[in-house]
Amino acid sequence: MVSEARREEILKNLSDGVVEYAEDQVKEWANIAVEEGLDAFDAIMNGLAAGMEIVGDLYDRQEYFVPEILMCADALYAGLDILRPHMSVESSGDLKGQVVIGTVQGDVHDIGKNLIKMMFDVAGFTVHDLGRDVPLEKFAEEQLRTDSDIVALSAMMTTTMMGMKKVIQMIKEKNPNVAIMLGGAPVTKDVANLFGADGYAESAGNAVQEAIKMISRLRELQNKGIQGS
Amino acid sequence: MAEMKPRERVQRLLRREPVDRMPVFSGMGMVTIQAIEKLGIRFAQVHGSAEYLAKSATLSADIFGFDSVVIPYDMCTIPEAMGRGCSVYENAEGVLYPTVPSKWERFWETDIPPNYLDQGRMPVVEEAFKTLIAENKYAVGAWVLGPFTMAGQVTELDLLLKGIKKDKEKVQEFQDKMTDVVIAVAKRYQALGADYINIREMGSGTDLLSPRMWKTLIQPYLQRIFAALESPKILHICGGTDLIVEMMNDCGADALSFDQKNNLAETRKKIGNDVLLFGNFDPYGTLCQMDASQVEDVIKGCIDAGVDAVWPGCDIWPEVKKENVEAYVQAVKTYGKNPSPAVGRI
Repeated sequence: MVSEARREEILKNLSDGVVEYAEDQVKEWANIAVEEGLDAFDAIMNGLAAGMEIVGDLYDRQEYFVPEILMCADALYAGLDILRPHMSVESSGDLKGQVVIGTVQGDVHDIGKNLIKMMFDVAGFTVHDLGRDVPLEKFAEEQLRTDSDIVALSAMMTTTMMGMKKVIQMIKEKNPNVAIMLGGAPVTKDVANLFGADGYAESAGNAVQEAIKMISRLRELQNKGIQGS
Repeated sequence: MAEMKPRERVQRLLRREPVDRMPVFSGMGMVTIQAIEKLGIRFAQVHGSAEYLAKSATLSADIFGFDSVVIPYDMCTIPEAMGRGCSVYENAEGVLYPTVPSKWERFWETDIPPNYLDQGRMPVVEEAFKTLIAENKYAVGAWVLGPFTMAGQVTELDLLLKGIKKDKEKVQEFQDKMTDVVIAVAKRYQALGADYINIREMGSGTDLLSPRMWKTLIQPYLQRIFAALESPKILHICGGTDLIVEMMNDCGADALSFDQKNNLAETRKKIGNDVLLFGNFDPYGTLCQMDASQVEDVIKGCIDAGVDAVWPGCDIWPEVKKENVEAYVQAVKTYGKNPSPAVGRI
């Protein structure tokens, strides 16, 4: 059991490592977290994800741009790879779920999709990543096969956005309870509503913001859970 | 004086000589589904045929009264010629633009074939240019992606973006290679007789890159390109451009084009009245989504903000509403009678 002071030190080093995109630092402190018995979910949520929250603020203030965000994401994954195998079922609680994610047919850009995927990975979801340029019917098939709770679709270009509408129809027809998230530069709230989606993010940077908001909410929930126990 | 012919109108505007009215033209794809349907073909078929390319371009201009034709329509012709392939989605429903299926995994290990200018569909595009130029009916516009955007088509964009921070020299070396490609293709189009060339450095807006990165990793290559090309030459960037308009203006282009994210009135103040500015309506929202009665206000808004020609912020999405395009063309013709900041009227 680590002391509170040591816990703070580990979390800060994980967070700083993500912000400074220092992969080695993140790996080192993730290993320390494991060796010293810090709860892996605590380290992920309040270390790695907390760092990503700061990255989001830096993007908001136009200090960081997409290249930095991608490198921060690499640093985060370096820590996640070490910590996730040590995550206990209890600590992640009810936050687990399954998501199908991919970039729709006709679109070979996947930066935004990968950032959103990171959010699901952080939150402990099982992610079924279909990749990019994915035929529309494949999303519905994969959702049915895996019984996933969420389907997340990305299109960077207006020219591929129309495909999303068809996917949403296909999925909602078969399973109206699936939550659909849309992302990509041409997707606006109006388009998401029009297509019958449940959520949206309009750009890679915005995807990070949306991801961070979700992670923040998860962290709040988790912290409440810790306090309440 | 008699009404000017479309080609002359565009040529004069690009030389900043007085015109009878603002031309209706663009430096990006303006093919419409109405033309594709009239030809009795599917969108996927148009890209590989010189005849279809030329006919669909001319038909689109005939149907709606455009002053220009612009080819090709997809962004894969050059990557395909460099051996990266092309997915045309032969069996997809509706309109889907071709994409590049096989990217170089490591941008520092690219191997551009020496004869790429004659490979893939390059001869098809060349043939279509020849046809359109020989017709001498409309101004013939050509475009090439800028080096950074081209790089994003042929290699993994995330590696390139991270490379900017991690491995700047390798990125610069690659940018240099892509710059050579852009110059070679643009010169080829100019040699064929295209009336203007638009360099679309679409992926370099400040949604992705900081102004500081833009200055070191985008601007020098664009400067090299514009120094190598004949006029008229245009620089188009979409996405966030408000922070980089002055640097864009230092690249050596004759005209600058922006999408709807640009605050055009502010840009005009920053750049002054001696530079041609084109833009900046949302083509999908304006021509495919909104009610036709709203289109006039959008176009008038662009003109009031200070453009010299109303350009869509990107390719026209081919599945346009006919009445919306008619409203767009009519609004340009009506409100474009008065002089614009950089171009007078006869």
